[in-house]
Amino acid sequence: MLRQAAGHMRGLLARRASVAVTSSAVRMASQGHEVSETVDMSRPMYYDRADVPLPDKPYKDLLTDADKSLKQKEKGPWTQLSKEEKIALYRLMFCQTYPEMKQKTSEWKTVLGGIFFFLGFTGLVVWWQRIYVYPPLPKTFEGDSQAMQLKRMLDMRVNPVQGFAAKWDYEKGQWK
Amino acid sequence: MAHPSQLGFQDAASPVMEELLHFHDHALMIVFLISTLVLYIIVAMVTTKLTNKFILDSQEIEIIWTLLPAIILILIALPSLRILYLMDEINDPHLTIKAMGHQWYWSYEYTDYEDLGFDSYMVPTQDLTPGQFRLLETDHRMVIPVESPIRVLVSAEDVLHSWAVPSLGVKMDAVPGRLNQTAFITSRPGVFYGQCSEICGANHSFMPIVVEAVPLEHFENWSFIMLQDA
Repeated sequence: MLRQAAGHMRGLLARRASVAVTSSAVRMASQGHEVSETVDMSRPMYYDRADVPLPDKPYKDLLTDADKSLKQKEKGPWTQLSKEEKIALYRLMFCQTYPEMKQKTSEWKTVLGGIFFFLGFTGLVVWWQRIYVYPPLPKTFEGDSQAMQLKRMLDMRVNPVQGFAAKWDYEKGQWK
Repeated sequence: MAHPSQLGFQDAASPVMEELLHFHDHALMIVFLISTLVLYIIVAMVTTKLTNKFILDSQEIEIIWTLLPAIILILIALPSLRILYLMDEINDPHLTIKAMGHQWYWSYEYTDYEDLGFDSYMVPTQDLTPGQFRLLETDHRMVIPVESPIRVLVSAEDVLHSWAVPSLGVKMDAVPGRLNQTAFITSRPGVFYGQCSEICGANHSFMPIVVEAVPLEHFENWSFIMLQDA
């Protein structure tokens, strides 16, 4: 186990820092001023991303003998490759095709369903509370009491500029 | 007082509150403009299929989105400071009233000419007559003459309270051992409601403030009657 770990460490230390691809002259021209050197110390990773077409390394690292012979054939003229071989070569380099990457999932249905479920559950809880927890409403909420309060608010000219009494026609005795 | 389904401020009953309403309209318009712009940018960012991973900087837009917010802030600050100084103008009040906060009622003292003082308790819900407003009515109202500058000295006898009447644009903390001064003029006669605005214990929600602005002779009659009753 220690030997394996040592091998790993050597591998890590031996990994060279990969310098940025663009030269400083190109960077100067594109940005208009000097840009500092970027040094990428990350390990090469494979990823399927629509906006970064070429990952750091191919998908399949460990090639079988059949794969290796196919790779050899790839070094020759490509017109001699059959359709299946071309597809096999693609699948060696990449995991998914663009259409596969961009495929729509049904995740939104799960999310929306979850939202509605919890909304409904909350509704049930509120309903139960209204029946078993809340005390009765004060008598000022009854229809007659509300009507008398409204009449008093109009008599008192509550918010007469724009708000409440402003919307009541005092001559006709009705809302405007 | 507030009317059913009200969304905005109550109609102003004092000139300062009118100014505050207009300032709020101004600031809210700016806020709506900025929010609409940001919402548009968010939607545009989320719905585009284009990508660009190589932007490092851009001096022009940085200048714009530094200068433009600074200008907007100045446009908000100038009216705001104007109202601030307006509120502090020398006003030469006709009447000075002391509003003292207690747990859980207000007491008002009119000591300019005679010694008039009374407590103002909320009318309990079960004692309301039909037509009265729940949690807002009091047994005694603070009666003032309309269109006269009034000075209110606010303090507290026990814990922190706050004397607030939204339609007059007035809110002043009642701090025990401290006298805070506020002033207002009522532009129209009427009854103006407010509620205690600083948490002060169990019945903090049940110590409202009612200011009644009446013509001067009615005020004189009222104070005469109150003095006799005391």
